[in-house]
Order: sequence, then C-alpha cells, then structure tokens
Amino acid sequence: MTTVLRRYGTLIGFAAIIIFFSVSLPDTFLTGRNWLNISQQVSMLTVVAASMTIVMVMGDFDLSVGSMASLAGIVAAILFTMGFSVPSAVAIALLVGLAGGAINGILVSLIGILPFIATLATLTVFSGVAFLISGGKTIFGRDIPASFSGFARDGIPLGTIGEQSLSLPYLTIVALVVVVLVWALLEQTTFGRRLYAIGGNAEAARLSGVRVKRLRLAAFALTGFGAAAAGLMYASRVASANPTQGSGLMLNAIAAVFLGMTMSEEGEPRVHATLVGVLVLGVLDNGLTQMSVDSYVRDILVGVIIIAAVASSSLWKRFR
Amino acid sequence: MSLLALEGVSKAYAGVPALRSVSLDIAPGEIHALMGENGAGKSTLIKILAGVVAPDEAAISVEGRAVTIDAPNAAFAHGLRFIHQELNVVPTLSVAENIFLGRPYPRRLGGLIDWRQLAEQARQALARLGISHIDPRHKMGRLGTGDRMLVSISTAFLDTEGAAAKIYVMDEPTAALTGDESERLFAVLREIRRAGGSVIYVSHRLDEVMQLCDRVTVLRDGAVIVTKPIAETPQDEIIRMMIGRAVDHAYPEPMAAAGDEAALVVDELAGDGLDPVSFAVKKGEIVGLAGLAGAGQSEVLRLLMGADTVRGGRVRIGGIEGRATDPAAAWRSGLAYVPRERRSEGLVLSRPITENITLAHLGRFSRGGAVLARRRERAIATARAAEVRLKARGLGQRCYELSGGNQQKVVFAKALSVEPQVLLLDEPTRGVDVGAKFDIYSLIREWSARGMAVLIASSDFPELLGMCDRIIVMREGGIATSLSAHGLSEEVLLTHCYGHHQAIVSEGQPALSAGGPAS
Amino acid sequence: MFGRAAAGSLSAWVLGAAAIAFASLTGAAQAQPKIAVITPYLAQPGTQFYVEGFQEAAKDKGWDVNVIDTKGDVAAVISRIEDVANQKVDAIVINVDPAQVAAGLQTAKDAGIPVFGMDSGSDPLLVTNVTSNGYAMAAETAVYVANRIGGNGGVVMFVFDAFPPVQVRGVVADAIFGNFPDIEVIDRVTPDVSDGGIADSRAKMEAILAANPEPGSIKAVWAAWDQPGLGALQAIEAAGREGEGIVITGIDANPQAREAIAAGGNFEASVAQDFQGIGSATADAVARVLDGETIKQTVIYVPTKLVTAANVGD
Repeated sequence: MTTVLRRYGTLIGFAAIIIFFSVSLPDTFLTGRNWLNISQQVSMLTVVAASMTIVMVMGDFDLSVGSMASLAGIVAAILFTMGFSVPSAVAIALLVGLAGGAINGILVSLIGILPFIATLATLTVFSGVAFLISGGKTIFGRDIPASFSGFARDGIPLGTIGEQSLSLPYLTIVALVVVVLVWALLEQTTFGRRLYAIGGNAEAARLSGVRVKRLRLAAFALTGFGAAAAGLMYASRVASANPTQGSGLMLNAIAAVFLGMTMSEEGEPRVHATLVGVLVLGVLDNGLTQMSVDSYVRDILVGVIIIAAVASSSLWKRFR
Repeated sequence: MSLLALEGVSKAYAGVPALRSVSLDIAPGEIHALMGENGAGKSTLIKILAGVVAPDEAAISVEGRAVTIDAPNAAFAHGLRFIHQELNVVPTLSVAENIFLGRPYPRRLGGLIDWRQLAEQARQALARLGISHIDPRHKMGRLGTGDRMLVSISTAFLDTEGAAAKIYVMDEPTAALTGDESERLFAVLREIRRAGGSVIYVSHRLDEVMQLCDRVTVLRDGAVIVTKPIAETPQDEIIRMMIGRAVDHAYPEPMAAAGDEAALVVDELAGDGLDPVSFAVKKGEIVGLAGLAGAGQSEVLRLLMGADTVRGGRVRIGGIEGRATDPAAAWRSGLAYVPRERRSEGLVLSRPITENITLAHLGRFSRGGAVLARRRERAIATARAAEVRLKARGLGQRCYELSGGNQQKVVFAKALSVEPQVLLLDEPTRGVDVGAKFDIYSLIREWSARGMAVLIASSDFPELLGMCDRIIVMREGGIATSLSAHGLSEEVLLTHCYGHHQAIVSEGQPALSAGGPAS
Repeated sequence: MFGRAAAGSLSAWVLGAAAIAFASLTGAAQAQPKIAVITPYLAQPGTQFYVEGFQEAAKDKGWDVNVIDTKGDVAAVISRIEDVANQKVDAIVINVDPAQVAAGLQTAKDAGIPVFGMDSGSDPLLVTNVTSNGYAMAAETAVYVANRIGGNGGVVMFVFDAFPPVQVRGVVADAIFGNFPDIEVIDRVTPDVSDGGIADSRAKMEAILAANPEPGSIKAVWAAWDQPGLGALQAIEAAGREGEGIVITGIDANPQAREAIAAGGNFEASVAQDFQGIGSATADAVARVLDGETIKQTVIYVPTKLVTAANVGD
C-alpha cells in the first residue's frame, strides 16, 4: 500500500486535478473536444520532454532544447523563403537538430564538459545563430507555405458531435508517435537498457563493456533531433518562425521529466511517466484558463506541485 | 561491571527482522570479535551503536549507566569511536582536515583556525598507529587505498577534549591494509586493551580474529548464536556457527589439472605506472597476482580489460591477437572481469539482478543485437544465478538490496554469463562472508575444470595459496617473480612481495626457496 | 510507515488542491458577459495601456474580463484561445499578429465566438481590428513639414520599409512630398535599427549635412518614427546648424520626442497614438457585437493627435 501510494502519488494527484476540474467545469472540461485540444496544446512539450528523457536517463541534462527548437523553426522558414520545398526544408531543419545534438554529445562525452555547462553554452550559441540568420525578425506570412502551417491545423476526422466536427490533430499524432518511439528505444532496445545502466553507474557500465562515450553522444544527438522536431511543430502551429519562440519549452520539459521521475521506484526517468508529467502541466494550463484564474497563479501552482511531488517521494525514502 | 552492555536490541526493516533481541556485553580491556555472514546483522548492530539507525527496541548502558544513542554525536559523547568498512574521505581536503572531519577544528585567538595545531594533532593521531610516512598536510586524494584506510583509522585515535574514547568499533579495518600495516594496528589495539579500553572487532579474516581477540560473539540471521572466549572456540566451530553448517575445507580441492594450451599470453604489456609485463595462463590454470598494496596487480587486470590506456605490448587470447582498446572489446574477445570495487565498479546497484547479469553480453542475449529479448535474458540470468547460488527474493530485485556476498555473486554471474576463455578477478572475495566465499571458490574450481583460465589479484594470501596453481609476485609496478603455489607458505610469499628480504631469505635459507621461482 | 508516507504524499497534494481552490475563488465567475483578453506582450508598455483602457471600459459595462499573458509564447496564445472558446466566453480580444494565431482564430470561429484585434493587424477571421491610422499619422506630419517650409526646399526622409506598419508611413509621405513640385527629397534613408535607431540615424544625418554644407540647402527632416528624428536633431546640433531653421518631425510622440518638442528646438512635431483610446474603442466594438450589431469595417481607426510645442504640455 505504501509503495502504491508513493509510486502512484503523482498519478493520484493528477487524477485529483482532473476530478477537481471536472467538478468545477462540468460542461466543458471532460469533453472529447477539450481533450483533443489539450493533446494538441501539449504536443510540442511532449516531444521535447520525451527527447529530454533520453539524456536524463543517463543522469544528464540538455538545456539547449529550447533554443534548438527555435533554430530549427528559423532554418526551415529561411529555406522556405529560398524556395525549398516543405519536405526538404523540414528534413534539413531536422538534420540541423541532429547535428546540434551531436555537438552537445561531443562536448559532453568526448571532451568531458559537464552537461549543464556544455548545453548552457550551446543554448546561447544556437540562439545566437537563430538571431543571426533571421536578422532577429519573425518570418511569417507568405513566406510560410500553407501546406506547412496547415499541418498544425488539420487532423484525421473522427466524426461530428452536434454541429461541430471533431478530428484527431496531426500534431497529437506526431507527439504520440514520438512517445511510442522513445518508449520503444528506452524500454525495448539494448541501447535504452545501456543508457539506464550508465545512469545507474557509468563506471560499472563501462567496465561491463558498455561503450559509454559513444552512447552518450548518440543520446544527445537524438535529443537535439527531437527538439528540432518540436520546433518545427511550433513553427507550423504559429505559421511563423521567431528566434525565441521555443525558449519556454526547456524548463517545462525538465519539470515534466522530474514529475515523471517521482513515479518510478528508483527515481529513474521513464517516458510514459514523463507523459503524465506533461499532461499535469497541460491540464493545469487548460483548466485554469477555463476557470479564469490569473495566468501567473498557474506558474506558482506548477512550482508548488513539483515541490509537493518530489518532497513526498523523498520523504518516503527517508522513512523507509 | 561491563563497559558496554546491549540488552534486547531489535530492529526490522519493512517488517523483515534484521536483529532479534540481541544482547551483547563488552568487558573493560577486551577485544571482542563480532562474527557473522553478510546479512547476519553485524552492520545494523554497529549502525545502532553509532546512532545512525534507530532501533525498534534497545536498552544500552555504558559503564552501568543507561544511555540513549539517537545521533552520531551522542555515540561520540559516550566514548564510542567508529571505523567503518567503507572509506569516507574527502579527496580534496588535506589528511589533517579529513582526520578532523566532523570535529571542531582547533582555534586561535579570534576564532581563526589554528592550522599548525591541526596538523600537529593529526600527526599525533597518525603516530599512535606508528605512521610517520603520511604528511598531514598532503591532500587525501594523493594517498593510496591502504594509506587512506590508515588515515580513516587514525581519526578514532584523535585526542579530543571532553569525551574520552572508551570503546572502539572497527568494521573490517584491515581489508585494504598490508600485513605490516595490520600488525601495527593490532599493536595499537592491544595497547588500548592494556589501558582498559575495549574494542569491538568485525572481520571476515578468521586468523586475525583468532590471533587478536579475547571473546567472540557469533550472529546468524539477526540473533546471537553464542558468546565464548576465543581460546575455547576452534576456528571450524566458529565457521559452523556462522553458516549453520560445516565447511570441510576453507578451499575446495582442484577438480582437474591445468591443460597445456595457453589461454592467455601477455607480451610486454605496459601502461601508466606499469612496467612492461609478460606472462601466460594455460587453459584450466588458476594464476594469482600477489604483491603489496599498489604493486600493480590491479593495473595488469585493468590493462587487459582496456579499462586504462595501454602504452604498448601484445595480448593473445585463445591464440588470437586481441589487445583490448576498451572493455567492450575485451569482453568480446573472451575475457571476463570482476573488478576490485564491487559497488562502484562491479554493479549498477539501482538496476535489477537480471539486467546486471546480462549487461556485459547484452547484444548476444537480444534480437539482432538491438532489440531486448527478455525471456532469453531471464533464462540465462536464472541459470547463472542458480550456478553462483545467489540468494535473492527474485531476479527483479534491485542489487542495492542484496548483501555484499550476494552482490559479488551477481558480479560473478555477469562475468560467467557467456563462458569466457579467461576470467580476471580483482579481490574476488573482499567483504564477502565465509559461506559466500566458499560458494565463489567452488564456482571458480568448477569453471576452471571446464578449461577456463583464471587470473586472481588478491591481498588475501591464504586465498591465493588455497586456490592458485601458480602465483606471480609483483613489486613496484613490475613482475618480480613467478612461484608455484604448491607447498608455498604465506611467509615465503610475503618475503617475495617485500623483495629486499627475498635476497636474504634465499641466500641464507635455501630450503625456504624450494617453493620459490618456478618459471 | 504507511501513515508517514501517506501523510507525505497526500498532504502535498492537498496543498496543491487548496491552492487551486483558492485560485478559483479569486477568479469566481458570475452570469455577466465573459471576455478573454489574450496577449503574449503584456510586459510591453503599449500593450499595458491598451489593456488598461479596455478594462476600464469593461468595468463600466459590467463585464467579467480575464486577461491572459502567455509571456512571449505565441503558440500558447493559440492554446488559450482554444481553452476559452471551449469555455464559451462571449468574446475574445487578441493583441498579436493574427496570421500567427490563425489556428486558434479558426477554432473560435467554429465555436461561434467573435474575436477582436486590439492593434493586432487585419485578418478575415477577426470581426475587426481597432488601431491607429498609420496613413493618417504619416499624412499629418508630412503635410506639417510641407506647410512649414512653404512647399519649397530639400527634405531628408527616414524610413523603414521592412516593417509593414512603418512602410505605410513612408509611402504616404512620398505621395505628399511628390505633390509639391518644389520639394526635393534629398535622401531617403533606412537607418540600422539594431540599437533603437538613434545612433545610426545621427551618423547618417551627419554625412548628409556634410554633403550639403550650404545653409538652407536642407529645409526639413521627416522621420517615420521618433528615433531617427532625434538622431537627426543631435547631428544638426553637433554641426552647429541648429540656427538654420531645419524642421524635424517624428511619429509616436515618445517621451524623448515630447521633451525635444517642449524644448522648442528643431524637433517641432510628432503624432501621438491614443493607446487607452484603442483599448476603450475595442471595448465599444465588442459591446456593439454583443448587442447584436454587425460591424462592417474590418479596421476601426482611433483618432491620433498632432503634438507640437503648443499642446505638448497637455
């Protein structure tokens, strides 16, 4: 019972939030439309947080995901203005993410800089590059092809309720696919198993034949790739690209992973737990907005909830 | 009147009893051995005395007065001093600062730290152990493992105002010490006994206990089995009481003779701090690496595994050229490795037993080297866990929950997950209880009988003499000599390790070198 | 054991729930029209004035206004539009480029909720956009310049065609100066705005002054916003040519420009936007739609005011 409470404490809290909003917003909260909205609203954060989970499994961080997301959006937008097709511009922007992530990986694993410092430095580098190549301007309007911005508005039709038609947004589908891929990678492959071993004890893993440097590099590259994907989703949703637009993603992603970590027995990041963390943040945003609560109160609440979740799980460890 | 008396000490973790109404009585001027397998409750008992763990029930009295020990400083105030098995040192601070860690620093007028006084008091604490070669002003990080242990021990002998030391509690203090260093420690302990102080001494080394202690208390499954004077208790009786069954011999007999074919050939292998070394191990042969602490035994194993940078030389494994560039390559070439530090190098403590066992050859237990095959992993883990006689609730149990002996068995199960050609063992039984030790020795014998070559680096000389066919003696980062273990005595082995004695011994007493250089 | 852990995790969550409950009390809703104002730019002074003007007007009308600041996150504006549309608010007001939040506007339209722009730019998905008339502002200062110099002489223009709202101003001034046959545009300068525009405008103006040393050869400087005008003023004063009667005008009437106008030097005029007025006019537009009226104008202009030495103190 104790274990149940501790492991599922965050989940129980999540359920409590949902029940609270359901009671307070009886007509609008627990509706298909609202949950499709939430799924789309958190899709970008989901992708960044799932990617962040990959490096956090090893006990590392990537602070540069937000500015990488901005950079990827800018790169794609600039390629659009140069006449590149949507698929090729998107592919190149994703490659930029992979390369940026690989640079983080090289700094951390081959050169041996602490992840906090290395990715703090690349955060400003990526952001600087985004400002440089965009001239600090927002790229929008006719420069962004309709097929690119349309992606974020469309989805697979699910039928109609009343007079309104419902559809499963493409952004939601992308986020789900990313979560499933990261889950498969972390939980079902030797790669993921070895990342968890590195996170548990890097030296023991190395002496057991785990190629720690190589795997760390690859993990950072994947995180960069995911951040770029999220940046493209963002650019598609706002039909524009701005050199700072992804910057809010990083802290929320780390918060989501931490919330998720309180759900595993050993405090290890798991991607499905990360998803719960993302949903806690997203549902709070959605519900509090609908209840007309001041948007700054939400920030305070998120902080309180992270402290509450982490404190209750560490108190449990103390009393064990 | 007893100096320290424990009455009815009980403690349960999550409903599982670790101590069941343990009573212990320490007389003034006594060295009292506390024996038991790992998991028998010794560590819990010590932690309760140290005020680190709160007992469920306990009555403790010091010099006849009932006391409550609810925090480490309470234990200190009652005159208890502890030397823990795990080294707790801060490498970036000086030796003197480490000795004073957690104690008030000597002050000068105005509250400034009196560094000279600090160093002087530290020097005196070291001097009580007869240590003059360690400068209290050096950084802790510069010292070797043995010296660090000596510094740790010396903290217990620091003179401090107020609370006079009455009882010293020592948990495996000699694990990282050379024979000489151990002897010096024993002399200090005997000195304490003469002065009326007492020592609670925990060790897996029976010979030490027999030689040093006055009485012994044996714990098994959290309960006291017996408290008896050492003089009335033969060694095999202690072992029998500890493990609850009789062990005929400390070391199992060889099952087969070594083969002729070389499994491992090392030619001029060199690395940082290691002169080029050359030797060979035959199939089915067990070879020991002996030497004083830091003579290069561990380094040889680490270089073979590619754990450290190799500076030159050649290695052949089963006739195939295979100098490892990293541990991954070493495992693949047929080597297996049990590292020196079980907790920091051997295991991912936070992960389940199965994952630890399959980690080294995970690619071979998966589909296409990429996708996990949990059933296959489980099968191999189950088989190996049975083979090493692992005691665990289940293979999904996380390794940090296991006792030291069982943790080491997991490390062995990993090393044997795919049958290696050569097994490299660094201190394979350090901190392992007698029962688990015997299991591990039996396992080594079984696998060596199948043709596996074994190379053991150990500071436990009886272990090397009991298990090995041949012993390579290392001195100051190079190979000094190679001896047949047959008929070799501990004294002769030790003189070879010291080197400068060797000349005298072999010149003056040729008879002793009969078991000497064989290669 | 159980008790402690349960207490630990539960008390933490109770705390969270209490905070939500408290938050919900502070934002309690009654049966009055609910209007959501959503902007990523609440930290900027202009936006604060709009919102204040809107809130004041809304208070008179008895509305329940929820101001949502997404702190620079444009995608979050879309999310919040979706949320309030789902909550069936009566109207939504945005202060962000509508092209960037088109996905949210479509959602609101599908839900039948009117969306108003508060100086946001025009968009077919908006009922209307309430803003200042950029064409009129430029015409006002350009005509002021033309009249002050008697329709005759050299004029230096500072423009910025890369930013649409400012580009409009330049085009209008071009047309007006072109309509005076004796006015000659000596130079049409685009300053580097990375530092706000003052320093580079000053440097550009110094070069132009050097190229036209004859007193009277430059009659006026028309700037599409205040900063270049202030830079030009510094250049003229540094060159010691403030006595030649060169007329400078700007647009926006920022505090620095007002100071220069009040000092009575070459900087003579600028145009003030009525930010509060934009806010209250937006509220009026919302009220009209709530009353069932259909607004035909896609843009509603709020009058601006020419600021000169005569009225700068008001």
